[in-house]
Amino acid sequence: MKTKILLPLIAAAIPVIFTGCATDAHYVQTGDKQQIVSLGQINIQDYANAANAAVKELLDSGAIDKVANPPALLEISRIVNNTSQQVDTDLLTKKISIALLQSGKALTKSVDKKATGYQQESEFMNDQKATRLPDFTLSGKIIETVDRAGNTRRTTYSFQLSLNDTKAGVQVWEGEKEIGKQGTRSSVGF
Amino acid sequence: MKTSKLLLLALAGSALALTGCTTVNTVENAQKEGRRAMVTDQRVITDASLNRKVAIVGVNSAMTPGGLLKVQVELENRTRSPQRFLYRFEWFDASGMQVNNILSASVPEQIEGKESKMIYSLAPSPSCKDFRVKFIEAR
Repeated sequence: MKTKILLPLIAAAIPVIFTGCATDAHYVQTGDKQQIVSLGQINIQDYANAANAAVKELLDSGAIDKVANPPALLEISRIVNNTSQQVDTDLLTKKISIALLQSGKALTKSVDKKATGYQQESEFMNDQKATRLPDFTLSGKIIETVDRAGNTRRTTYSFQLSLNDTKAGVQVWEGEKEIGKQGTRSSVGF
Repeated sequence: MKTSKLLLLALAGSALALTGCTTVNTVENAQKEGRRAMVTDQRVITDASLNRKVAIVGVNSAMTPGGLLKVQVELENRTRSPQRFLYRFEWFDASGMQVNNILSASVPEQIEGKESKMIYSLAPSPSCKDFRVKFIEAR
């Protein structure tokens, strides 16, 4: 009798348990509450947060406003990857250049060969030799440090950026954003 | 035997409780030189639990020399334990239209027990006139 009651109950509980555990594929927003936090990897939201902090500090400093002919012309220089993983630094620099372009404070020098070719052709045809040189270059470094205590691991990624004045040859702004993650394993949710 | 086991458990429990409840002591200058331009804010609270734990004390704004609106929000952890949350700034132009921003991702933040903390953001362009800040509790 007892078994007869228990069996349907167990049968009913199984789908409930499995529905609760399984996660069907769905679209997510970058930086949402359910983001995956990886211990040994730079997540997409880490690039977004580092870029966010850099742009905020850079625009707040007013360094980019100090040019003779605004908006400033910026060239993205080298970002050194000093981490144990392969990193596409465009994930960081593209966000920064888009944000600066949207702010109206800076234009980025084109790296498209066709565009630069047309520009040179136009200069030649119009007998102009006044190619505007970049006012600033943006360079930086991504550094990874790992600390361990038993099973707990702490990984810190330091995003260091410098805005270099091409005329004076000095760094007019420097910023650093540290993103630290600690735990025993990667997880879902902040 | 039972009493010693209970004592050990109580000791372990109190150690855990103490570790989880670290609050912050602060000191600051009493006569302030700076004056904050406070913003009259309008709040919509749907998560009363988060609002009880991490309260919004006030909002102030300023303009940068480059003409960008800068907004600072003062938060206070009313509990004795650290609280984690995400926040996101949204910006609107003079017509009330939301301004698209590549950097509008949520920012993770942690506030220690009884700590008062400032978070700030900068408008993505000079056309931004209004703002909204969203807070969501971490799991």
